[in-house]
Amino acid sequence: MAGRVIVITSGKGGVGKTTTSANIGTALAKNGHSVVLVDTDIGLRNLDLLLGLENRIVYTLVDVVEERCKLKQALVKDKKNPNLCLLAAAQTRDKSSVSAEQLKKITEKLKKDYDYILIDCPAGIEQGFQTAIAGASEAIVVTTPEMSAVRDADRIIGLLEAADGIESYKLLLNRVRPNMIKSKDMMSVEDVENILSCQKIGVIPEDTGIITSTNRGEPIVNNEKSLAGKAYMNVARRINGEDVPFLDIDEPKDFVGKLKKFFSGLKKQGKE
Amino acid sequence: MEQFLNDNMYVIDLGELNTAPEIIFELSSVLDKEEVKNKRICLKLGNVDLNQAQLLSIKSLINGIDSTLSCVDTKSVETEKVALSLGIIVSNVSAENAVELAPTMPYKMAEELKDEAINTETEENEDIVEESDINSESLNDAIIEDNESLPSEQTEESREVEENIEPQQEESQIEKEVVAEPTETINSDIDNGVVQETEKEEIQDELDVIFGSTPSQTVFYDMQHPTEMYEEREELTDIIVPEQEYTKEDIELESFPTKYIKQTIRSGQVINYEGNIVIIGDCHPGCEVTAFGDITVWGILSGIAHAGAGGNQKAKVRALKMNAIQLRIANCYSRRPDSLNTVYIEKTNSFTPEEARIVNGEIVVFKMND
Repeated sequence: MAGRVIVITSGKGGVGKTTTSANIGTALAKNGHSVVLVDTDIGLRNLDLLLGLENRIVYTLVDVVEERCKLKQALVKDKKNPNLCLLAAAQTRDKSSVSAEQLKKITEKLKKDYDYILIDCPAGIEQGFQTAIAGASEAIVVTTPEMSAVRDADRIIGLLEAADGIESYKLLLNRVRPNMIKSKDMMSVEDVENILSCQKIGVIPEDTGIITSTNRGEPIVNNEKSLAGKAYMNVARRINGEDVPFLDIDEPKDFVGKLKKFFSGLKKQGKE
Repeated sequence: MEQFLNDNMYVIDLGELNTAPEIIFELSSVLDKEEVKNKRICLKLGNVDLNQAQLLSIKSLINGIDSTLSCVDTKSVETEKVALSLGIIVSNVSAENAVELAPTMPYKMAEELKDEAINTETEENEDIVEESDINSESLNDAIIEDNESLPSEQTEESREVEENIEPQQEESQIEKEVVAEPTETINSDIDNGVVQETEKEEIQDELDVIFGSTPSQTVFYDMQHPTEMYEEREELTDIIVPEQEYTKEDIELESFPTKYIKQTIRSGQVINYEGNIVIIGDCHPGCEVTAFGDITVWGILSGIAHAGAGGNQKAKVRALKMNAIQLRIANCYSRRPDSLNTVYIEKTNSFTPEEARIVNGEIVVFKMND
């Protein structure tokens, strides 16, 4: 059994690469797959924080590369989900500590034992990015519906197409605000898809719960009520090859809107 | 008081002195000299009755400068007995053919110079001061050098001045000398300043405690090793804290040099030092502090701290607020409990200092009350 190596990248910083990695990883593990999350953002690691594993890290990716420990020793098991493991980045080093070949070797080893290897890519298109994509065969490009993020995503897609190993890439649109799209203040999902001419794999609505979950060290997919959590669960299922319809993220804020939505839902149910 | 150089033996005549503190004071000023080092030393004592503790402290003073106390000449039967019990030869030393040496330097000068030396040292390294232990040899060496470079006239003058304020001054000097003495057996708790302020009687009492009635070395040992300040454990009370023994590891910790760092240690910063580390500032999450000795943080410790990295099990980690992600002492490792997931800790004026050390093979954090 050979696992799939997926890199999660964006180009621009702050669009939600790490949040996406943590949530998709947790969601896949929840669905019964064995998953390793690899943080390649050496020197600015955050993935451990989002998973609440900060206090468990003894060995890091750099320790594995420099052969101070075995690969198994460096894998930190998640608190709740035994299917999920984290290979953390070193905080006290920089991106030059790990080369593309070294990361490729590690992913080759991990492939044998795990279903999914998700690589959290650092921002930028420099050495860190080149290292992160080296071992991957698939990519998820995270972007937000802002012009700057879309431009950077475009640049990244260009680089991914030029890269040898990447066979397919998908788009994940993060922090979407349906209300703003309605009032034409934000690019719609279709607009972004058109601009980038790239197939989307998920649309995640803006959710204040993300901030709370980050601070608590618990991915939002563990919260079943959260819309963003549901969206991430769907992304995980789509990655696994299931055909899942896109979530209706249109959530009206005013009371009348909510009532309308409620009744339309009843109507639909009645028709069926 | 006279000193003679007799063959390979160095004879120190203290026959005129009548109390143990006087003897120790005079002796310590003689022992500052270069000539006395690496010699076999013979003490001429008068009618003084010395007990075991007093003679032991004299012996350790002499051992401290790499010399040995080979024989004692005394008129007191009591002292003779004690000396024999400690394996010191009792004999009559002839003062004939002995070479007389120059008058001794008063310790006062050396004390002042020592202060100056320390001051200049700290000025040189403002931010990061690598200060060796106060007891270390380098300081004593500096004092000796300064002694030699002084003109002799000045010496005599200051000596005269000193004789006027003799007794109290003298005793305080004994204290100071004892403190500066490099061997391990001497109590270092007594502060110089305190001694100067106290009355003569009090000093006498204190000296009696140190050199007085109880006849064993454990007196010094007890005073040097402070009693337990932290007995309560925060969460679990069922662990019995074993009595602390003074071991080789303690001595090693005390002999380590100390590095002072006056800055905030931020994420990604690494500090390694083969000694003790004192950080005046906070240690943010994501930093790593590794020391062969103790780690003391005058602030909030939230990063990773590894004390006793060389394998010293007695090493400790102290902080005003202990919030470390991981604590490592020697080969033990512990992580912050998951329940204690504080986003950040408010900086207040009322922190309870905490100390982590190994108890029964696991790291335990104690509150240090009072």
